[in-house]
Amino acid sequence: MAEKQRVNVNFFAPSTDSMKAEVTVARTIIVFWFVLSYCLPVFIWLAGLGDPNGLGESFLTQTRFLGFPLHYWLLAQGCTLGYILLCKLYCILWDKLVVHLHGK
Amino acid sequence: MHRMIFSLILSGIFCLTCATLAAAAGEEIYQLQTGFKLAPAIIMVALLAVYVGVGFLSKVSNTSGYWVAGQGIGKLGNGAAIASDWMSAASFMGVAGLLYLKGWFGLGYIIGWTGGYVLLLCLIAAQLRRFGKYTIPEFLGDRYNSHGVRLIAASVTVIIAITYSTAQFKGIGLICGWIFGMSYQASVFFAAGVVCLYMLISGMAGVTRNQQIQYVVLISAFLLPLWFLMNKAGGHSYLPQLEYGKIISNLMEGKVAASAGGVLDAEATAELKRAYLPWGKGDFYHFIALVFTLMVGTAGLPHIMIRFYTVKNEDVARKSVLWGLFFIGLLYWSSPVYAALGKFWNPTGGKEVADMIILSAPEKAGLPTAFIGYLASGALAAGLSTVAGLLVAGASAIAHDFYATVLRPDCTDREALAVGRLATAGLCIVVIGFALYPLALIAQIVAMAFAIAGNTIFPVVVLGIWYSKSNKYGALAGMSFGLGMTLLAMLGWAAKIEIFSGSGILPATSSALLVCPLAFLINIIVSNIMHDKLDEESADCADELLRKIHNLPGYGDQTEQPKTKAFEH
Repeated sequence: MAEKQRVNVNFFAPSTDSMKAEVTVARTIIVFWFVLSYCLPVFIWLAGLGDPNGLGESFLTQTRFLGFPLHYWLLAQGCTLGYILLCKLYCILWDKLVVHLHGK
Repeated sequence: MHRMIFSLILSGIFCLTCATLAAAAGEEIYQLQTGFKLAPAIIMVALLAVYVGVGFLSKVSNTSGYWVAGQGIGKLGNGAAIASDWMSAASFMGVAGLLYLKGWFGLGYIIGWTGGYVLLLCLIAAQLRRFGKYTIPEFLGDRYNSHGVRLIAASVTVIIAITYSTAQFKGIGLICGWIFGMSYQASVFFAAGVVCLYMLISGMAGVTRNQQIQYVVLISAFLLPLWFLMNKAGGHSYLPQLEYGKIISNLMEGKVAASAGGVLDAEATAELKRAYLPWGKGDFYHFIALVFTLMVGTAGLPHIMIRFYTVKNEDVARKSVLWGLFFIGLLYWSSPVYAALGKFWNPTGGKEVADMIILSAPEKAGLPTAFIGYLASGALAAGLSTVAGLLVAGASAIAHDFYATVLRPDCTDREALAVGRLATAGLCIVVIGFALYPLALIAQIVAMAFAIAGNTIFPVVVLGIWYSKSNKYGALAGMSFGLGMTLLAMLGWAAKIEIFSGSGILPATSSALLVCPLAFLINIIVSNIMHDKLDEESADCADELLRKIHNLPGYGDQTEQPKTKAFEH
């Protein structure tokens, strides 16, 4: 029996135009998501390496922003705001890159 | 139907009786004011009446109405529905409790539970929507053409329902205990009675939940007390969510409420400051592991994925996630305020007071009992509707996926329904058992449910959508590994084994940082090894589904495939 043409889907090698567009949107957002979720804690960690008590005290914990210690504000409110903006960006990118490919 | 009502009433009465008997033992509910409180009790009943009543008024006639309740509603309304589904006793009480206990470290719960939505939106939402069915076991069963995969997915749904409900029961139990002045054990039984009655009333005649109004009820109960509290704490009560920064800054210098001593001594100040410094209550590794686990868990939780079907229009569905996250954000901008104010009035409280901090902080501030009652009732309503939803989801996984699909494919609807009812009762009993001796804090128990979802469902769904080579052998291997490791970590936590504890290398609350990538890897490797052994039918099934969810050409061509009928609707 002749080998049937199998569907090939791979996030890192999208095949059709619409899949390429969708993957582009997803990748862009995931990069920002990663920076926000992991690079920020890493930054706080690196900044606090000099604390002899190992508690991570640094200029971030001493700076005040809107009355908050900066390291607290960044996670408690900065991240949440960032995620909402990322969802907005996702919608914008999707409208721009993907929607016309589906003929809607 | 009558038999179900009868049995539900009976079990409700049974639980309430047990509660009254056990209440005679009457020990203290943690550190709160004890005794029966009339005003909160009245408010609780009234609020629940509104909560359920709204559903009655906006009742829809057909059952599919339940799923597409938001169809005619725009992005704002569906966003509120997403947020209302999300709000449970864990977000109401648990997050504030953890923030109280762990300070800065607890923020990991907030970014984990909001950031997960971004991941869900990017990798899963749009594609899964095109699949057009409601449950994850169904999606996985069709994608991999395997009963085994479907059964594991259904088991995971049940285990998540049990774990998640246990946390809600703890919350409901604590609140009932506070309002009616019972011991914790008694109030867990009492809570079970309330849950049964709630399910009975709201389940009658196909009542739908009007989630928009319910969101308003819940969020107002959570937010309004903050202005009064901030006022009492000496703020301007302009916007508590921005003002509490000053309180945290003061806490780091040891300044607390006058009633708690005004300025703490050096030792207590150091302890307080420690909680708000980054690694005072947990190290860098555990923070990242927790955040990662909660994110993949959010993206893998079955009952959250379902929400993408509530709106028919794909465009509205996307934008409603934005609003949903905004409404959830309102809640999570406010939980830390309760935690900070809790520290302000009670800087040295420990685990015993943590889960009750949203009630204890107002109480210490001298807020009228009726007001706290409103807050407590909001938390209760959030917990109740979550439990009802979860028990139904768990029971339908047993009845639909185990019994009707695999065990007895030729059974009648009537039999399946009976199995479903039995399963609901069975699950309820199991949950009571776990809730009587809770393993951990509310938010921690919920985090374990997220670990299960993140380790088993998330990898297999993402690979199912984005990697066509993934097949049933890989899926089975990856899912078994993920589920096994998570359950092992939970058992280890319960048995207090060091490496599975909060400070070990694989904590039950945050096991996904290690397990989830491995589950991905195992799925990919096994799929590739077994690639040649895969039968034609399974490969065709997968192809057909992938064509559909990625809008590929050729969808629907192979009409001779028996499975294709499942795709028409």
